[in-house]
Amino acid sequence: MPSGVLGELTFDLPQALFWGLPLALASLAPLAWRRRRLPAGRLGVLLALRFLAFATLALLLARPVAVAREDPRARRSVTLLVDRSKSMALREQGASRYERARELAEGRLIPALEREGWEVDALLFADAAFPAGAAERREAIVDGPATDLGGALVHALRGAAAPPLAVVAVTDGAANVAEHNRAALLGLVDAGIPFIGIGVGDDEGVASLSLEGLGGPTSVPPDQIFKLTARLQAVGAGEVPAFDLVLLRDGEVAQARRVAAHQGSRVWTETFELVETAPGLYEYTVELQAPPSHDLVTVSTRASAPVNVSAETTFRVLFAQGALTWNFKFIGRALRGDPGVSLTGLSRTSEQSMFRQNVESAGELLDGFPGELTELAPYRVLILSDLGPADLTPRQQETVARFVGELGGGLLMIGGVATFNASWQGSRLEGLLPVTFDDDPGVLGLDRPFQLRLTERALGHPAFQLAESGNREAWEGLPTFTHYGRVREAKPGATVWARHAQDAGPAGRRILMASQHYGAGVSAVIAVQNLWRWRLAKDLDPAHFDRFWKQLLRFLGQAGGQEISVQFLDPERGPGREIRALVERRPRPEAERDGTATSAVTVQVEDPSRRVVLEQELELAPLRPAEIRFRADEEGVYAVKVHDAEGVQLASRPLEIRSVDREMERTGRDLENLRQWASLTQGIAMPIEACRDLEQLTAQIRGRAEALRSSRERRVPVGVNGWVLGWLLACLGGEWALRKRWNLP
Amino acid sequence: MRPREIPPNPPFLKGGTGARNPAPPPLRKEGAGGRIWTASAVRVFFSCALLLFAPALPAEDLEDQISTFFVGRLAFGDNHGNDCGDVGYDLVQLVSRASTIQVREEKDLVLSDDGLFETPFLFMNGHNDFQLSDAELENLRKYFLRGGFIFASGCCENPQFPEAWRRELSRVFAGEKVRDIPYEHLIYRSFYKLERIHSSNGDRDVYLEGLFMDGDLVAVLGEDGLCCGFAMEGSCNVGGGVRPEDAKKIALNVAVYSLTH
Repeated sequence: MPSGVLGELTFDLPQALFWGLPLALASLAPLAWRRRRLPAGRLGVLLALRFLAFATLALLLARPVAVAREDPRARRSVTLLVDRSKSMALREQGASRYERARELAEGRLIPALEREGWEVDALLFADAAFPAGAAERREAIVDGPATDLGGALVHALRGAAAPPLAVVAVTDGAANVAEHNRAALLGLVDAGIPFIGIGVGDDEGVASLSLEGLGGPTSVPPDQIFKLTARLQAVGAGEVPAFDLVLLRDGEVAQARRVAAHQGSRVWTETFELVETAPGLYEYTVELQAPPSHDLVTVSTRASAPVNVSAETTFRVLFAQGALTWNFKFIGRALRGDPGVSLTGLSRTSEQSMFRQNVESAGELLDGFPGELTELAPYRVLILSDLGPADLTPRQQETVARFVGELGGGLLMIGGVATFNASWQGSRLEGLLPVTFDDDPGVLGLDRPFQLRLTERALGHPAFQLAESGNREAWEGLPTFTHYGRVREAKPGATVWARHAQDAGPAGRRILMASQHYGAGVSAVIAVQNLWRWRLAKDLDPAHFDRFWKQLLRFLGQAGGQEISVQFLDPERGPGREIRALVERRPRPEAERDGTATSAVTVQVEDPSRRVVLEQELELAPLRPAEIRFRADEEGVYAVKVHDAEGVQLASRPLEIRSVDREMERTGRDLENLRQWASLTQGIAMPIEACRDLEQLTAQIRGRAEALRSSRERRVPVGVNGWVLGWLLACLGGEWALRKRWNLP
Repeated sequence: MRPREIPPNPPFLKGGTGARNPAPPPLRKEGAGGRIWTASAVRVFFSCALLLFAPALPAEDLEDQISTFFVGRLAFGDNHGNDCGDVGYDLVQLVSRASTIQVREEKDLVLSDDGLFETPFLFMNGHNDFQLSDAELENLRKYFLRGGFIFASGCCENPQFPEAWRRELSRVFAGEKVRDIPYEHLIYRSFYKLERIHSSNGDRDVYLEGLFMDGDLVAVLGEDGLCCGFAMEGSCNVGGGVRPEDAKKIALNVAVYSLTH
């Protein structure tokens, strides 16, 4: 028997012994009468053997059991868990929950436990647990982003040299991480450790209010009504007092609204209706102004959205290049016959001079590349070429990211090794492009002439249609090119349009053309140094080159108006949650005419590892959205892609899954959660205000622990085994043998 | 002639180490497209000094495989393409020194060959009369339609080459004749701002001449020994022609114009 365990013998049916032994004695009387003529010694031996046999049977009927019990002196410690999650910082009745918990622990609970002779192993916990002495508990920062009670219990059980007598948790109970609960519960039950939960805080908690976001159109014409929608969420049973929503336009108050008080949890929107007369880029910000109150937590109070008010009739493209390139000239030639497109150039012509071409005002681009969103807003597409990270400051790169992500602009990076090189790695610009940059620039001058290989997806995409018939042949007939920029691989959600015909990189054939949706816009790369050779080639129709560029730039610039839209319905997109999205086909007059308004599409959802987690076919009619659902278990960028029947991608939306601040969602004391833990481990749960008599509490802990240990005694049947049966047979056999020897019937 | 203005703090891309220019220099809006030039006297002085006094780059520096600008030195008619020696090389040097344009040495091309269609900028010059064959004219027509550009210069003020060039180039497109390019044209401002160009003896204004295709300038001729001016310091121009400093600016303007239009 192991140390710390005590053993004893007991009977499941002691009545069998009580009645069996007298019966055994009584059964000897007829035998004695029948053998009365035998000598007394022989009679005594026979009666003794018969009695032993009957007594053994009575013993077996009483079901003897060996019981092993844990030595109560082996457990001398109690584990104390004190919650330091953010919700414990809430102040109620003049003190924070943590202060009240610590006051209980330091002032009364720990001394009371120690008076019982128990050691106290204290830990602080939130999203993680760690041992904490008095100093650590006193100086603890109460800002844990989540409450993982199960994780703290597992940590405590695994870290203890011997199982504790009990685990006492002082917490508000509002646990919001559940992945360790099962392991913790099994650990407590197996080790016979009662969970003692002491709930801190107000049962109702304080209401939390957050401004989840601001949505609206990225671009509207002047004098047209448009709407901005603020998404709000209130959580908690308490009352959310009346508060103000202030709409600022470029920092100036444009509108204000009083939102009435209400009770309980709620998700809703507040809509502002606006009209702008003057073209320009306006930055709208909604501020949530709630009255200061201990009963209300405001989690997020600002949200912004830019709106470009523009009456543009032409499609403006800005081509910014660090050195003059022939691509600029030939793309300009391609667009020259299109009155709807206007190409503006910003070229560095020497170390200290720039060349602005086709600007519309004296001040436009005067200071060089735009650093403000308002300066980029007049353009629909931005083309960058032959630029390095030193040419674009982080602020300018951020402006480009906002231009694409918020204004729905198109971004194209074009060029060879002077454009695509490792110096961009980790930059903001790389973050919004569809590819990652490669460390390997190749060996300068050793590139062999190569052909562009369009992917099947590209061959079916409207932007890559060069001819009414023979589109594939037109692409295959392109001249060879001589230099290209090396990119590492496409990002999740990106679409690869063209690859190198021969050269391979870390992820297959080198990518030469790719694009992806980024926020409301599209970013793209063309990693070919001298694409202009296509237009100059003698045996090719230059109209193909021209058509390609007109189509490509429209594709990049009109991403916000794509045929299929994907909208995510749930404002909260954390890992482990089900995500709902609406897929909608926008009405197109030409589709109504040619009968293609309703058609089947396939929706694919890829997780951050590019595994397809959902593939679903939908029949989409204009303005009749269809809902899809999928579970996002991992943090990272998911991609929702919509393809038509031919596999042509119609839309793609990235979705970032990230952990959200769940700690302050529900701040009320969750005593019910503590009761469940206590119930399953034969422990106790009580509110802190009930902890007046700590002596009684320690007695209860002792009693529960004893009861649990008693219920955990190990019982082993010891009656039916070979030795006992052998003994029985020996008694009966001995009697039989003696009778034979003495010639008795 | 007023050189183009350059802001005192004119990085291509603002927001770098330099502060923004608090008082931008006067701007001038040019033409229907709204082309605007900025320059400063200090910068032009610096550029001119570079042009005139900078040592020649070693030839191997020009063998840059990713270069943007390269010149196809053209052989045409019965001209072998070698008039005026290294003038094509000198043009490349000129572009290299005065700008950040990546350059490459000239390559020899024959007007009737398909190699024409791999070189977006061609240079042709000569002393004498010439006549283009039908194949050469057809090639030129296709070349221009696809975006190619030709820069031509007569050598040593010999009038025979310019006269032949006007005649032959006027045969490329029906109804399009070679004509003078007025000073309002952007080619006089594409890098240096040239208000007027005077002949070296000062007796007249010198105009570039050009062939247009649907309004696009596709070929430019500099009469008056332009190439002698920018390559040989005007040593073969006797008593006339374009001054060397103007010739160099014109040549660079033509190169930049061809890259941007």
